[in-house]
Amino acid sequence: MASKIIASTVRRSLSPKLLPLIRPLSTAAAAAAAPAEPYDSSAGISMKGVKISGRPLYLDMQATSPVDPRVLDAMLPYFVSQYGNPHSRTHLYGWESDEAVEAARAQVASLINASPKEIVFTSGATECNNISVKGVMHFYKEKKKHVITTQTEHKCVLDSCRHLQQEGFDVTYLPVKSDGLIDLNDLRNSIRSDTGLVSVMAVNNEIGVIQPMEEIGEICKEFGVPFHTDAAQALGKIPVDVNKWNVSLMSLSGHKVYGPKGVGALYMRRRPRIRVEPQMNGGGQERGIRSGTVPTPLVVGMGAACEIAMKEMEYDGKRAVKLKDRLLNGIRDRLDGVVVNGSTERRYAGNLNLSFAYVEGESLLMGLKEVAVSSGSACTSASLEPSYVLRALGVDEDMAHTSIRFGIGRFTTEEEIDKAIELTVNQVEKLREMSPLYEMVKEGIDIKSIQWSQH
Amino acid sequence: MATPSRSEILTLFRSLLRSARQFQDYNIREYTKRRTIDAFRHNKTLSEPSSIAAAFSDGQSQLQVAKRQAVVYSLYAPKIKSIMDIKH
Repeated sequence: MASKIIASTVRRSLSPKLLPLIRPLSTAAAAAAAPAEPYDSSAGISMKGVKISGRPLYLDMQATSPVDPRVLDAMLPYFVSQYGNPHSRTHLYGWESDEAVEAARAQVASLINASPKEIVFTSGATECNNISVKGVMHFYKEKKKHVITTQTEHKCVLDSCRHLQQEGFDVTYLPVKSDGLIDLNDLRNSIRSDTGLVSVMAVNNEIGVIQPMEEIGEICKEFGVPFHTDAAQALGKIPVDVNKWNVSLMSLSGHKVYGPKGVGALYMRRRPRIRVEPQMNGGGQERGIRSGTVPTPLVVGMGAACEIAMKEMEYDGKRAVKLKDRLLNGIRDRLDGVVVNGSTERRYAGNLNLSFAYVEGESLLMGLKEVAVSSGSACTSASLEPSYVLRALGVDEDMAHTSIRFGIGRFTTEEEIDKAIELTVNQVEKLREMSPLYEMVKEGIDIKSIQWSQH
Repeated sequence: MATPSRSEILTLFRSLLRSARQFQDYNIREYTKRRTIDAFRHNKTLSEPSSIAAAFSDGQSQLQVAKRQAVVYSLYAPKIKSIMDIKH
């Protein structure tokens, strides 16, 4: 009896401190738990020569989105206990894993109004784009030699088309108007009798414009050409319907809808059936289209993310519009010379791409270290070139260099927007103060009329 | 299940807001708070008992998810907080 009282007192005194006492149980875990960390102290983080007092606020939703806690909750059991290979037919682990994959497939399909039999899981939208562009053209290469795409497509589509060009196919890159939309007559006139594929992305990742999908789908149906769209940025944000859009192939990405990275899905129409040559050969998983073990936890995460997106699309959409208006008006109230890149009407509100005149882009970004934003897209920001998308819009080089892309998402708050406005406006004002070009503009001199002397 | 009483609904509301406070991550915390308030406000006008019961049980399962994830997120919370938590 006394021992019980002692035991309970000991337990009560220890329990509040239990969580911090969790120690790694092996040296391997200890080594894994301490990767090369940036030098951080109570003064903040210092990394790559930049010192900030706390983690930046995240406004780069087009690059990737944080995993929703509800998605993580759905994924964890498949990492912890239900870890079977969904293709194992002989035991419970395989059966429960397969059940989870099929449930996720249905969740993804219902978000785009497709049948689960038309969904193939891949490693991401880049792989889906590769399968769509190269797979379709290689399958139909006897009769079809021509591909139509746009100049503002994602790098993976453009690179796949370049690869096809080297193999001898013809590719037409449709130009875009200054608002980022393609001209439907251009598309109609480019279609030939040997056109095998039209590929137009639904929502652009850099400027956020929404292409006229239904009209393009109608034109493709009229000419009998398969229509592929990269809907990675569109999924869960605008209503996506494969029948209204008349698409034959659609690329979807997990990590843009608050799901995990490393998973995507390809929609392939069954009526009329579109055939592709597989890019990953192996055991014939995913109906032979994409061999390789289907990663159950990631796929379950993508399914959960799609289900949440279906429920939250209206709420998130309204919020995105409200926050975008707050951001744009907040910046425009205090600064002039702010240009929105891309159409203002046909646009997804969560993607705001602004150019600030008379300001240098690199220095603007260097001063905005407390806000995580991007200029150009993550794919092109390694090189010094201004984004090819902005160049295709006809934006001047200097304006293209100062473009900043603000990505608003489900978890963005009003305070974050206000802080982003504050930081951006301060930085732009500071840079413009130092800029002789801006002084000249203020005096009324037209910059384009200046004859720069050559030494 | 039977239609939940007013006090049960209020208890669920308070539990959800309490679990929101447990999140160390600024964005998730604010989202959970905001979404709870907006969802309860939106469902205030529901009159049919079956839809009230459905919304209530959905809220209960969301509470379970929030409780679990608050623990998981606290296990892996970064040492440096978000700028939004430091400045104000």
